[in-house]
Amino acid sequence: MRLGAVADAGTAVGTGRPGRRPITERARAERRLAWLLCAPAVAVMALVAIYPIVYAIYLSFQRYDLRFPDSKSWIGVDNYTTILSSTDLWWQAFGVTVLITVVSVAIELVLGMAVAIVMHRAIFGRGIIRTAVLVPYGIVTVAAAFSWQYAWTPGTGYLAGLLSSTAAPLTHQWQAIAIIILAEVWKTTPFMALLLLAGLSLVPEELLRAAKVDGATAWQRFWRVMVPVMKPAILVALLFRTLDAFRIFDNIYVLTQGSQNTRSVSILDYDQLFTALNLGVGSAMSVLIFLATALIAFAYIKGFGAAAPGQELER
Amino acid sequence: MNATPKQRLGWSTANVVVVLIAAIPVLWLVSLSFKDPSTITDGSYYPHKWTWDNYRGIFDQPLFTHALVNSIAIALISTFLGVALGAMAAYAIARLNFPGKRLLVASALLIAMFPPISLVNPMFNLWRTLGIFDTWVGLIIPYMTFSLPLSIYTLSAFFREIPWELERAAALDGATPIQAFRRVIIPLAAPGVFTTAILVFLYCWNDFVFAISLTSTNNARTVPAALAFFTGASQFEQPTGSIAAAAVVITIPVVIVVLLFQRRIVAGLTAGAVKG
Amino acid sequence: MGIVLAALALAVAAGCGGGQSSSGPVTLNWYIFPEFSGAFVKSAAACSQASNGAYQIKIQTLPNAADGQRQQMVRRLAADDSSLDILGLDVTWTPEFAEAGWITPWPQDLAQKIQNGTLQTMLDTATWNGKLYSAPFNTNTQLLWYRKDLVPNPPKTWKQMISMATELSKQGKPHYIEIQGAQYEGYTVWFNTLVASAGGQIVSDDGQKVTLNQSAVQALDTIHQLANSPAVDPSIGNQMEDQTRLQFEAGRAAFELNYPYVYPSAKADVPDIFKNMAWTVYPTVKEGVPTHVTIGGIDLAVGAFSQHKQQAFDAIQCLRSPQNEIRNAVLGGLPPVLESVYSDPKFQKAYPMWQAIFTTLKQASVRPKTPAYQSVSLQISYTLSPPTSVSAKDLGTLKSRIQDAIDSKGLVP
Repeated sequence: MRLGAVADAGTAVGTGRPGRRPITERARAERRLAWLLCAPAVAVMALVAIYPIVYAIYLSFQRYDLRFPDSKSWIGVDNYTTILSSTDLWWQAFGVTVLITVVSVAIELVLGMAVAIVMHRAIFGRGIIRTAVLVPYGIVTVAAAFSWQYAWTPGTGYLAGLLSSTAAPLTHQWQAIAIIILAEVWKTTPFMALLLLAGLSLVPEELLRAAKVDGATAWQRFWRVMVPVMKPAILVALLFRTLDAFRIFDNIYVLTQGSQNTRSVSILDYDQLFTALNLGVGSAMSVLIFLATALIAFAYIKGFGAAAPGQELER
Repeated sequence: MNATPKQRLGWSTANVVVVLIAAIPVLWLVSLSFKDPSTITDGSYYPHKWTWDNYRGIFDQPLFTHALVNSIAIALISTFLGVALGAMAAYAIARLNFPGKRLLVASALLIAMFPPISLVNPMFNLWRTLGIFDTWVGLIIPYMTFSLPLSIYTLSAFFREIPWELERAAALDGATPIQAFRRVIIPLAAPGVFTTAILVFLYCWNDFVFAISLTSTNNARTVPAALAFFTGASQFEQPTGSIAAAAVVITIPVVIVVLLFQRRIVAGLTAGAVKG
Repeated sequence: MGIVLAALALAVAAGCGGGQSSSGPVTLNWYIFPEFSGAFVKSAAACSQASNGAYQIKIQTLPNAADGQRQQMVRRLAADDSSLDILGLDVTWTPEFAEAGWITPWPQDLAQKIQNGTLQTMLDTATWNGKLYSAPFNTNTQLLWYRKDLVPNPPKTWKQMISMATELSKQGKPHYIEIQGAQYEGYTVWFNTLVASAGGQIVSDDGQKVTLNQSAVQALDTIHQLANSPAVDPSIGNQMEDQTRLQFEAGRAAFELNYPYVYPSAKADVPDIFKNMAWTVYPTVKEGVPTHVTIGGIDLAVGAFSQHKQQAFDAIQCLRSPQNEIRNAVLGGLPPVLESVYSDPKFQKAYPMWQAIFTTLKQASVRPKTPAYQSVSLQISYTLSPPTSVSAKDLGTLKSRIQDAIDSKGLVP
């Protein structure tokens, strides 16, 4: 029911801009309120984040190596060409990152949904289960990564002992990547599960009951009732999880330090910035990583359409 | 909910499996923290030689206790401020029409996406000039800033789902806007708010990049950064036991915070069921 | 009101004037890695006292890992931080910090004092472009540790060691040769040792050109031989110093190439293995040619933006006095840089292997001296990883990558 439309027609007050619908007093008040509410958040984000981001973008067009401070100079897109033409380092890392992202997010979505449903229907000790499930996400990432590293080190670890006595999975690229994915999934499935659980809580029970009475199977109830209502929650969970997965760093850093070509784009960027002290190339790489994640976000928002936040509201 | 005994057994098993998978690597850390250094390589899941030395060691020096206090305080303050600011903005985005909404949402996402490692150097310089390097404020500000996008997105997704009629029904019943907000919106928003709060808290808690770059002493160093300062019995020895013990100790406040907050989620859920 | 103002003004003046000028000790910030035994704390206190109020040394702890230490210092030096007075630099950082203008060269007269009686190779690490930029503080180098119950006569060359280990493997006894082959700095150290022991060096003296030649081929061959023999530990590609120590302590190895810290560790952890633990000098690559093991350690430098350079120079000289060197060695397991200390009975008692260490240090080699060292090292460990894939064919790739790193071209792994 469009209450607003009725009000608009009746109480138009002047025109906002030539050729546009007149702005009602109500709409103007709404805007003021909205800007007031957003102002603190916008102020914080603008003041704090804008300068470093702009500075980083500015640096990306310079040759700036901290070890050779005299050679600082403007070189345009040279840094970008250096990076994009590096098949054995940049594109290799890019491929590894995409692989880890796709596989881990897919697994986490499925597992997260399953865990969310289990938490929702907890029979005993709801609090205990929910806390237990969240603990992996709550442990400091590097500590959890150490746990996995020791577990897979031959001799020291209980997991390595399950494989053959000479197996050192962390020293082989594909096995190491599998372990990294395992560590990621274990750590952040709770993140997904939590968001999905909160989304689950918005599904009205009567709808489910009604569907059941109508003879829908559990599977049908899931796809036709639960998922559509949960769409916004699923989008947020997927979006943020993918963005974070693409920028994976901690787990790889502790498990393999990026050796044996298991490095992600973030680890490669870290090497340029902090080890080679090459701020020019490092900043350019950050911009490229940012563009890649922007692409991902764009794809999600387009794909999910109306479920995205900020879309025009129907009233 | 009427479930058959078979269904109940099924769900119970599922519960147990989930808890086990979450717990096994954590218990491994607990086990490592109790292992005597000479048995670290014995490859067994349980310690054969128990010792409290690792725990004693980490509390011996002020490094860890200060880091613990810093982490808890900074994370709590950042969470409170970040969720408060995020909730206001999310409410506006989800329920009000105003120009610049898309821009705001897009820029928030932009900020969340830019790799923080290239931002720490300019931030370090700026913080030193402003005199907030190595202070609580110096960390609270970036944590708030970089968790705002997550807050805004999560909260606006939840605020969107709250039915419009409720507000109007309350108004019709004679409630003022503030009363309507308090009695109707807040209980329904609670699951979203507490979910967001937990996520923001854990983001601040886990952060390493800002913590190691914007602190230099016990004044503001948080736990993830402090772990980098742990030493073994020599330059080359990895402080396995100490790190494991520290990990166990710092998980305890997280467990407490989660236990407290998750009750609110349950309360929110039941409130929603009654209303809906 | 006037009296209040006057009193306030006096208080402010007293507060302002009292702290700096001539009265009151200057605080020197000493940025150093966390030393677990407290030896540095004692040295700092002793030197502060001995200065008779001229300065107070305040220790600022850095992260445990060398990379973390470098990051913390670089970030602040790049911002012209004046609070960095005394810096504890890893031996490979001096050219980098010097070239970037972050540390101050020692004045001629003081440099002379530092150079007297200090190990030559350590001085080499502290010198860049003919000037002494830092003062060697402590050092470290690797020895060959072996099980004397399995190996009655220790090997002199790598070839011998590998064949002994192969023999042991045939007999089903513990036979691994533990060496650090993970993709990190320790691997570069190993490669550098092999190249130097074959008579060559990786980079020219001025740090501008890569100089790998036949000696590099021999080094690569040695790695290849080890990696393809039964003597190699399957996890070599993931092993750093601590992992190799743990493997030896677990009784799975017959040989270990590692720093002296493994000795007291084994004594405390595994008395059974310890009683059969013996040491000798690192094996050579070529029969009859002495080995040149890569040197490690810490040099102390004065920050370029420090406000108290004179006091910092004085403090550093005190921190590395023979007394403090002995304390660092005995309490902290950090071998001294002053040759005289090696004949001190207290030191010899704490270090039964002092003779082997001293011999090794006298003929040690340095890692490539170039401001771009970190990149060079990354390229070396990247190209040669994992050890099982190394062969003489890698020489060409290695040369071009190292040259790119020196010229700061392209990406680093």
